[in-house]
This record gives sequence, structure tokens and C-alpha cells, in this order.
Amino acid sequence: MMRPFAMGLVLLVCQMTAWAHKASDSYLVVDVNGKAVTAQWDIALRDIDFALGLDRDGNAEITWGELRSRQSDLAAWALSRLALTRNGSCPLQVTGLQVDEHTDGGYAVLHLSGVCADATGALGLQYRLLFDLDSLHRGLLRLTLDGATHTTVLSPTSGGLQFGAARASRWEQFSQYLVEGVWHIWIGFDHILFLLSLLLPAVLVLHMRHWQGVTSFGVAVREVLWVVTSFTAAHSITLSLAALGLVSLPTSLVESAIALSVVLAAANNLWPVVERRRWLVAFGFGLIHGFGFASVLAELGLPANALVLSLLGFNLGVEVGQVAIVAGFLPVAFLLRNTRFYLRGVFVLGSWLTMLVALTWFIERAFDLKLVSP
Amino acid sequence: MNSRYLQRSFCAGLALCGSLLGSLAQSAPRTPVDDAAVIEKLPFRAGDSRARELNALRASNRKAPSDAAIAAALAQAYFDTAQARGDPRYIGYADAVLSPFDPQMSVDLLVIRGMLRQYRHDFDGALGDFAAALAQDPERAGAHAWRGAIYLVVAQYDKARTECAALRDLQRLVLQGGCTGLVQAYTGQLNSAYATLQKTLALARHDDQRLWLLTRLGEVSAWLGQNARAERHYRDALALGRDDGYLLAAWADFLLDHNRPAEVIKLLAGWEASDPLLLRLAEAETQLQMPAAKAHVQALDDRFAAAKLRGDTTHRAEEARFQLRLRKNAILALPLAAANYQIQKEPRDLRMLLEAALAARDPDAAKPAHDWLQSTGFEDAPMRALAAQTLQLPVVKKQVMSP
Repeated sequence: MMRPFAMGLVLLVCQMTAWAHKASDSYLVVDVNGKAVTAQWDIALRDIDFALGLDRDGNAEITWGELRSRQSDLAAWALSRLALTRNGSCPLQVTGLQVDEHTDGGYAVLHLSGVCADATGALGLQYRLLFDLDSLHRGLLRLTLDGATHTTVLSPTSGGLQFGAARASRWEQFSQYLVEGVWHIWIGFDHILFLLSLLLPAVLVLHMRHWQGVTSFGVAVREVLWVVTSFTAAHSITLSLAALGLVSLPTSLVESAIALSVVLAAANNLWPVVERRRWLVAFGFGLIHGFGFASVLAELGLPANALVLSLLGFNLGVEVGQVAIVAGFLPVAFLLRNTRFYLRGVFVLGSWLTMLVALTWFIERAFDLKLVSP
Repeated sequence: MNSRYLQRSFCAGLALCGSLLGSLAQSAPRTPVDDAAVIEKLPFRAGDSRARELNALRASNRKAPSDAAIAAALAQAYFDTAQARGDPRYIGYADAVLSPFDPQMSVDLLVIRGMLRQYRHDFDGALGDFAAALAQDPERAGAHAWRGAIYLVVAQYDKARTECAALRDLQRLVLQGGCTGLVQAYTGQLNSAYATLQKTLALARHDDQRLWLLTRLGEVSAWLGQNARAERHYRDALALGRDDGYLLAAWADFLLDHNRPAEVIKLLAGWEASDPLLLRLAEAETQLQMPAAKAHVQALDDRFAAAKLRGDTTHRAEEARFQLRLRKNAILALPLAAANYQIQKEPRDLRMLLEAALAARDPDAAKPAHDWLQSTGFEDAPMRALAAQTLQLPVVKKQVMSP
């Protein structure tokens, strides 16, 4: 008779964590970077129910289905009660709905994004959620404006607030973008795979249609330097052009082309076409990858007052990230270059896997399909 | 009951618990997989009588937003719900119902706004509302009664007596008896206070009045050291079968003072949502060294932190007691107790100030409490003993606390 006992235990534990009675709060976290706005807004389900009526079947329980079916009403209601401005309005939209818990119960989590009229100047914020229904409601705001954080409690008497743009020091801005650059090459698997596909053969040489290890470390280093330098030069050019708004390409095209570049680079290892002038391949496709970095930078937003400096920081960050990958890869690859493990396992099997993965990306991105669900 | 249903409800319970416990550790937004997943429980079912009453009033208010009588009825119903369940959201709802009428408020609306303001410890604002109501209608007994109650909390006993007299002139004998009884109790006449309250109880016909009087009779008896009588009054009050946060807190304090924590745990099971009651429950669990104490102390910590975030200072009395008795941190407790005493000066506030001053070995901090005891002649023997102890503290200040 385990079950009744276990049920009792569950009830006991449940009682232990009963929700607190507390006046109503919402938690609003806003991040404004230049023109780009992202935000997370946690609103208590009890408050949403009081305003919109969520409990359709009247059983005093709100289910995920009951919330989800009202997502558009919720979005319209919430967004009509929050306005951001930066020398003009920053229209917001709801990009996702989740749930969470705070001390007094379940909350709907609204993910928001938007684009402001201007990338500089003070940020205006007007908050009116629930004040018509609950005058003790408060909005707990954490705003990060171009890297500087402000917190405040929004009440019915707050009215429209203005937050001054931070004057972050030049060095702070530079290092912030440097870190972003490093981070984005590390989490950008397509860039890493492209680079590795080009680097895998750097410790090898094609001899009588068979790959074998190069004789000296110097040869390998020279090859790697050529490849990395030309990749860097190429993507710096397009990254700068795109970030400064001089050239722009549709994202889907860029993303598909990046995937294709990985497919081709990996295929070239299996069926060598370009063998001696890999740096040319690196340069050519590097131009495409530069556009990819630029779209990341666009999401991040570039501060108008330190445009060039931030761009330089981001670019350098990408290079530092790359150098770190190369520095980790090259010595190991050189040591293993004549082993079966490297020649068969890493080089051949790795290239095959890379090619297949990139091919999947390419099909997904080019035809807007979802082959592998996350 | 078929086993499948059991299994499913068990899993649902477990999932809910998991999410609750998880949220304590580290909350992060998540996407439920199942549409049927319960993500929140509301205080009432749509069919509950209180929910039906509130919904009907809310619908009428929406139809006729400028009708002051409907607004007053709805705001009063929200206030009663807040009192019964200790849930401050209803105070905010009530206030929002009233605010469109400002500044042209009827007597009814002014009285209710005063009640809402005193709930939030805005005593000056509340006194202003009651004064405005009485200017329109000098015979509004409720306004006098509330004003008397506020003067008692802020220790202005002469003004409280004036309100009691006004209630007598209006022939509101139950309200007057409660008012006078408390003034007597707070000013060192516990025996007369007991007699007054006892006499008033005989006149009271409504259960809510009886509950209030019985609770106060319990408190006065306990101050007199007549514990058996106190217990009888508290039990009579509980037997009326009405939810009342103040009664539960007073009875729990009595039990804690008399070393009966196990009964507190039985009494307050299911009342964890209310901060003052969870505080008393956690004290009882700590005394009994129960494992649940740890989670409850943590929950209180989280709630005080959440209140601080929104700039809420109405919890200072509870927070002082929490720091002192559960965190054993007199250094944090003393400024909280002192700040609370600036606003509220009832016997329990005074006692907390004395306990905190004693624990922090700071005789100067206890001085306002000594002054109060001296000027009022308040008779509770344990409180006087506590005050005497603080007088024996070494006057050398800035002494490091012994571990």
C-alpha cells in the first residue's frame, strides 16, 4: 500500500511551500542597446486572471492550455500598458510566452523585442499595467540602457520616466564588444566548423593521392597562418561594410551560404579540388561569414557614439576567439598527424560528419525546413 | 477510485510540488509540455459564494462605474476578503474601485478609504479621511470607531477617549465598550478593561463583534496572568468558526508564550500564505526542531526580500521578530523594531522593542519603551520584568556582542 502513503507525503510537501499572500508586483527586465530592445516581463497569473479572466472552466486552477489560448489577448493587454521611447517610439512585440514562479505563485513570462526610432538619447518609459484595477500594484523595473543598469519601482504616480543614456567609458565599451566577439565565435558552430574543415588538412600533405603528415611544424604553422589570416581579412571587410550599413544582404541568403561554405570545405578534404591554395577558399567564404557576424552585431546594436571603436573591439574579439581555437587545435593535430586515429578518424570521419551536419543546416536554411527538432 | 486516476493525480501533485520546490531553489522561465499542466491555483472557485458575491458586485460596478453605492459595496467586500484571508491584493482592488471618485467622495467611500489606508499603516491619511467623513456626517459611528482604533495604535489615549465618548453619545454601546475597554487596558487598568469588555460582550449580537471582543478578552486575561480564562475566551472565539488572521495570531502567541508549540503547528496548518501566521508557525517548528522549519524560515526571508523590493515597510514588526527569534540576529532586529515602534505602539510592538534591545544589549534603544510603561502604567507583569532586565544592562555602549 505505497500509494496512499506517498500521496500523503506529496500533500505534506506541497503545504510546506504554499504561496505567500503579497501585494501584486510584475517584474520587468528591459535591455536597450542602441535601437534594439529586448525584455522579459513576468506578470502574476492571478493578476492576468483578474484582468482578463483565464480560468475558463471556473475550477480555480489555471492550466498552461488556458493561458496559451489567450496569448494574443494577453499580449495586446500588456503591450497597451507599456510604452518605450527613444527620440520616437520603440514599438514592442511579444516573441515568446513561458511560465515561472515567484514567492506568491505562478507567473506568465512574456518575452518582448522591439526596435527604437533612434540608437541614442534618453529612454522614456511609461508603465500602466493593472493600475486601473489594483492601485497597490507595482512594476519592479530593471533597465539596462547601453550597458548601464537602472532599477526602480513603478507606481501609479511614477508617470512617464526618462532614463539618461549612460556615458560608459570608451575602454568599457571596447572591452564589452571584445568579449561579445569572442563569445560569438565560440557559440557560432558554423564558423568553427568551417575553420576546422580548413585546418584539418593543414598538418597533412597530399602525396600520390594519399594524405600523410607534414614533415615540420613550421610548414603546418605557415599553412594555418595563411588560412586564418585570409579568413580574418575577408570577414573583417564584410563585417565592417555591413555594420556601417554600406552593404546589406538578406539574412536567409547569408545563413544558407555559410552552411554551404562548410559543406564545400569539408567535401574538399574528402575529394580534394583545391589543395595548395586553401587560403583563397578561406578568403572567399570569409567574405560570407563576415555578413553572418554582422547580423549578430546588429542584434547587439552598435553605440553611435563609439561606432568604430566597438566595431574594432568586436572584430578583435572574433580574432582572439579564433586564435584560441587554433592554438588548442594545432599542436594536438601536429602530434597526431601520422596516426591512424587522425588520418582516418579525425580527418576522414570528421570531415564526413561536418559535411553531413552542414548539409542539414543548408537544407534547413535554404528551404526554411526544420529537419532536426531542437 | 481507479488506479489510473490515482496515478495521474499523484503525478500532477508531484509535478506541482516539484515546480514549487524548484522555484525555491532557482526559478527560471520554462515552457510546460502539457496543456493540462496546472500553473496557478486561484483563491476561489467561480462557484464559491464569496467569489459569486465579488463577481456580481464587480459586474454591477463595471456597468455603472459612477454609482457610489455599488462602488462602496464592492470596496467593502474586497476589504472584508483581505481581512479574512490576509491577502493584500484585495486592498489594492478596493482602492482602485474608489480612486475614480476622488476628490468627490461620499461618506461611505471616505470611510472605506480610511480603512484601506490604516491597513497600509498610512495612519495620517486614514485620520484625514475619517475627519472628512465626519465633517459630512458627524453621526457616522464607524468613522469614530476607526479613529479610536488608530489613536490606540499610535498611543494617543486622550484622543482615543474622545472617540469613545462620541460613540457613547451616538448610543453605539458595543463599539463604545470595545473602545473604552482597550483604552483602559493600554493605560494600566486591566481589571476595569476586563469588566468593560465582558459587559460589552453581553450586548454584542453579531458574530464578528463577538469574535473581536472575545479575542481582546483573551489578550487582557493573558496580561492579567489568568491563563485558563484567556484560553477559554480564545477557544470561544475560535468556536465561532470564522476566518480571522488577528485571532489566530493572538492565540498562537499565547500558545508560544506558554510553551505549547505543537498546538500552534496544528492550528496554523494551511495558513502559510499569511506572513504573520507563517512567522508563528516557523517559531513553533523551530522550538520543536522540526525539519519543516528550515524551509519556512527561508520562505519568510524570501517574502521580506520581495516586500523590500517594492518598497513596502508594513512588515517591519514581523521582520524584527523574524530576525530576533528565528535568525537570532539582534543587530538587524533592533533597528527594525525601533522603526516599527515609531509607527505602531501597541503592547506587542513594545515587547518586541524590549526583547530586541535586550538581545542587542542596548539599554538606550529600550528607553522609549520605558517611557511608555511609565506614562501608561501598563500592567502586564512579564513585560515589566523584561523592561527591568534592560535597565540592568551595562550602560557602556558599543560593546561587542558575546557569541
